[in-house]
Amino acid sequence: MSAVARLATLPWPGRIGLAIVAFWLAMAAFGGFLAPHDVGAIVSQDVFGAFSARHPLGTDYLGRDMLSRILHGSRFTIGLALAAALAASTCGTAIALVAATAGGWVDEAVSRVMDAFISIPSKMLALVMVAAFGSSPALLILTAALSYTPGAFRIARALAVNVRTLDFVQAARARGEGLPYIAAVEILPNMVNPMLADFGLRFVFVVLLLSGMSFLGLGVQPPDADLGSLVRENISGLFEGAPAVIVPAAAIATLTVGVNMLIDSVSGRARAVEA
Amino acid sequence: MPEPARGLPGALGRFRGSLPALVVQRVAVGLVTLVVVSAIIFAITSLLPGDAAQAILGQAATPEAVAALRAQYGLDQPGPLRYLHWLAGLATGDLGRSYTAGVPVADLIAGRLPKSLMLAATTAAVSVPIALTIGIVSAMMRGGPVDRALNLITLCMVAVPEFLVATIAVLVFAVKLGWLSALSNAMDIATPTQFVRAYAMPVFTLCFVIIAQMARMTRAAVIDQLSASYVEMALLKGARPARVALRHALPNAIGPIANAVALSVSYLLGGVVIVEAIFSYPGVATLMVDAVTNRDMPIVQGCAMIFCAGYLLLVLAADLIAIAANPRLRHR
Amino acid sequence: MDDTPMPPLRLDDLDRRRIDAALRGGTSRRDALRLLAAMGLGATAGASLLALPSDARAQAPRKGGRVRAAGISMSAADTLDPAKGSHSTDYTRHYLFYSGLTQLDGTLTPQPALAEEIRHEKAQVWTFTLRKGARFHDGSPLTPADVVYSLTRHRNPATASKVKTVAEQFAEVKASGPNQVQVRLATPNADLPVILAASHFLIVKDGAADFATANGTGPFTCKEFKPGVRTLAARFEGYWKPGRPYLDEVELIGIPDEPARVNALLAGDVQIAIAINARSTSRVKSSPGFAILETKSGLYTDLILRQDQAPGKNPDFVLAMKHLIDREQVKSAIFRGFAVAANDQPLPPTHRYFNASLPQRAFNLDKAKFHLQKSGFAGQKFPIVASAAAEGSIDMAVLLQQSAAKIGLTLQVNRVPGDGYWSNHWMKHPLGFGNVNPRPSADLLFTQFFKSDAPWNVSGWKNDQFDQLLLAARAEADEAKRKALYGDMQVIVHEKCGVGIPVFMSYVDGFTAKLKGLTSIPAGGFMGYMFAEHVWLDA
Repeated sequence: MSAVARLATLPWPGRIGLAIVAFWLAMAAFGGFLAPHDVGAIVSQDVFGAFSARHPLGTDYLGRDMLSRILHGSRFTIGLALAAALAASTCGTAIALVAATAGGWVDEAVSRVMDAFISIPSKMLALVMVAAFGSSPALLILTAALSYTPGAFRIARALAVNVRTLDFVQAARARGEGLPYIAAVEILPNMVNPMLADFGLRFVFVVLLLSGMSFLGLGVQPPDADLGSLVRENISGLFEGAPAVIVPAAAIATLTVGVNMLIDSVSGRARAVEA
Repeated sequence: MPEPARGLPGALGRFRGSLPALVVQRVAVGLVTLVVVSAIIFAITSLLPGDAAQAILGQAATPEAVAALRAQYGLDQPGPLRYLHWLAGLATGDLGRSYTAGVPVADLIAGRLPKSLMLAATTAAVSVPIALTIGIVSAMMRGGPVDRALNLITLCMVAVPEFLVATIAVLVFAVKLGWLSALSNAMDIATPTQFVRAYAMPVFTLCFVIIAQMARMTRAAVIDQLSASYVEMALLKGARPARVALRHALPNAIGPIANAVALSVSYLLGGVVIVEAIFSYPGVATLMVDAVTNRDMPIVQGCAMIFCAGYLLLVLAADLIAIAANPRLRHR
Repeated sequence: MDDTPMPPLRLDDLDRRRIDAALRGGTSRRDALRLLAAMGLGATAGASLLALPSDARAQAPRKGGRVRAAGISMSAADTLDPAKGSHSTDYTRHYLFYSGLTQLDGTLTPQPALAEEIRHEKAQVWTFTLRKGARFHDGSPLTPADVVYSLTRHRNPATASKVKTVAEQFAEVKASGPNQVQVRLATPNADLPVILAASHFLIVKDGAADFATANGTGPFTCKEFKPGVRTLAARFEGYWKPGRPYLDEVELIGIPDEPARVNALLAGDVQIAIAINARSTSRVKSSPGFAILETKSGLYTDLILRQDQAPGKNPDFVLAMKHLIDREQVKSAIFRGFAVAANDQPLPPTHRYFNASLPQRAFNLDKAKFHLQKSGFAGQKFPIVASAAAEGSIDMAVLLQQSAAKIGLTLQVNRVPGDGYWSNHWMKHPLGFGNVNPRPSADLLFTQFFKSDAPWNVSGWKNDQFDQLLLAARAEADEAKRKALYGDMQVIVHEKCGVGIPVFMSYVDGFTAKLKGLTSIPAGGFMGYMFAEHVWLDA
């Protein structure tokens, strides 16, 4: 069954998820063009302004238009998080497959290096990377991917090792199949579901890492800001219930829920189809 | 023919004799990992611009003053040499001396590690049972409204930046209601009430962060096992679904679950810098981030060793649990 | 702002001029501190009178109570060594435990502290008569040896003193009598009493090297010091100011996150918090039982255009950038009014040498465009480096970027981490930002940041005329002439120097209304970091 056909038969949560993801992807792609104001332009004397006709999502801590800032910011959050989470999950799974199928000292060596990386706190790594290389989107992706690959590896390896002990894999071995074949054909399909679920979370983690970095004064270069940084820079508005802090937080929540609802449904379908 | 009873705890008995050997081997490997970590930390921190002498002097860092301070701290020696010195010290259990504080790193860590462990343990004690329950219940009712609701709730929880959770919690419970303390510096805790006042909000915030991952991995792993052929076989034989889930599927899912728990809990040591900052909680995560800021490399290395050791212990525990649950892993 | 406590009691202008004249080494050759005494204010009484708001004087200070104060930062780098103090929490901690030879009052005039009497010859040889009866926390009396040690240790590189360069002017420090210390300066400096009031020059015990605990002559003894956790101070019964301090205990902690600091204040976990963001002030003010204290100061964050390289080398580019600064917007949008417009020179309007005749440079896109065209850099793109380390600089850079875009200049904001900023970025980029704490002494400010050969000549400019004026002003005894010289220097900096100063920022403290006696000392927040010995808790 083709991917398109599969999407067409999604249950309702999947469709909602798909709609949300499509919406945010569209925002990421075209939001910048739709923004009524420049991302850095101060357009109002009123800081933390409420929802209004002139500023549908209110104004931020400097009196900038929140709608414009979110439209611009979604591009960074979605782009960076998608790229980094994809990189982390893909690399993690790939390395795990190699390690698990090869076994022996390869598994041991790879696992030790991954263990070493995983025990380095991601925010500290980000601090070092940004201090050393400056803050650019490519570096942020690399940092986030570096931070989350070992975690993905860890989970993928546990899954792969578990699958490896199953009878059909042992049978394939007995048949004399090559390692790449075993990894790709016998093991990988059986870990896709948990890894997809893990990807959804890893995506969220990258979004949160970006916002956590804003807490440490790092991240996307101003005047741009990712959604998490928008929450952070407007946190003083929380006490007056300003849209400037609520809207980006809600944006992150819908994005997170949408991505994961879609993934859950697709992976559920995938299982049904394969079975 | 699949073996339905596979992975039951009783099966462990056959391998009990070799488990201590496994632990010894893993500890030895762990020591190697620690050295790998220290090398990685050394490598990436040597990329950092500036050094401790410049950081200490700040705006007052004239070349002369910096040179004098470097000589005093031994920073004028080449980096690799300093690293080897430090490594040699580590071999004798000496973590070195902080540049900025002028006291042994071990003292600084000893003053904070118990607090970090207390926070991590409390959070784990609260979050792990919740997460496992959510995961298992979701898996058993997968596709149903309860599953969807739990899924949505955990996702929404993890989607909120932790500084926002913490700030809202403080605003509500400390500022508005006055029930809890806005600070958790954990200095004068004598009674259970004081303990709750200090720990409730940091633990609450951290639960938001880590429950979702554990719950989702648990759900995914249990579902994976539920669809395995041996479970279908058991169902065909007429076993009750709940019994199948708990007796047959869960034990086989324990490996991935234990790993997910270990990963999440290890985050509670080094990753909680935001919570420590907001609640003014004196833990090791802040110590390490400050040390990076101050270029106080002995502290950075010392903390890295602690985090890595903590993580390795958790993973070892997870692996032991996984082996106990699925003895075939012993044959790898 | 409206409900801040009354400003400190001020001496009338005539008295001020007499004190100034005396301080500058005027013809009377009598020092200001003795003058104060001669005017009928006992030295100690004078200091306390100046420190108290008039409404507070009506209430008798109450003894007792415990105050927890929230500073900005705490880390393993926290120190009890005054020489090493690097941020506001350190300064506050040091003033808890140590006293200096002098102490600044609400007008930044030095008052006698451990030095009971100060004399000088041509502002070059200074003699300090030490206060009798001042004792260290370990019970030992203050001796000239302690002062000599405290002042000379800064020059030893191993001390890692923050004020090493300042202390290098102490050519000789020696005991000149059983109760006297003589400081001979390399060149005359009338501002020495001001300089010695800084926390770095607080007096420690002779030979003190291990600062695991504090042994000073200050108002509190050190009960507990855990770097990065807290500092606990208990009242020192043997403090040299009779009746002081009022509080039994002070606990000093650091809360780096501003919203968390405000929350801790409003939740009652701390009684006073430093550096309240202007955006949080309305929240604090509207909470019953809490107040804010705005301290207008000479604190500024400056735009730095390096004049030893392109594009800052071009004077027209510098002028274009200065005209691009929308000071009113910086003041209102970034600081919500808790700032005063500045005029691209470092003396705030409240400074006694402020040149009021210098016209305020206004935000003017036409002039900016004109100068930009003339400079030949129109249509080009430059990175501008900002950091959280220089307060407000990131927002200032963004505002500047907006203005620049309107005249065809592209500024690319490059935010860099706060750690390592001063060593690795400050003064090192063609376009960047810096931050300068208030310095009560105009000479110190100009010497440290604008003299051609100053290590912190941030823009790398070289102006012989300015340097000559600076030396002339330092040696000038006549107050009016001195003011004129400083006035000329302000004009030169305003017109020629590659430093743009948008605003002078206020320090804002938040505190519970039960805390009394809190007033402004414009050297910093927390009453110039000295609040602990001045305040008391109402029942």
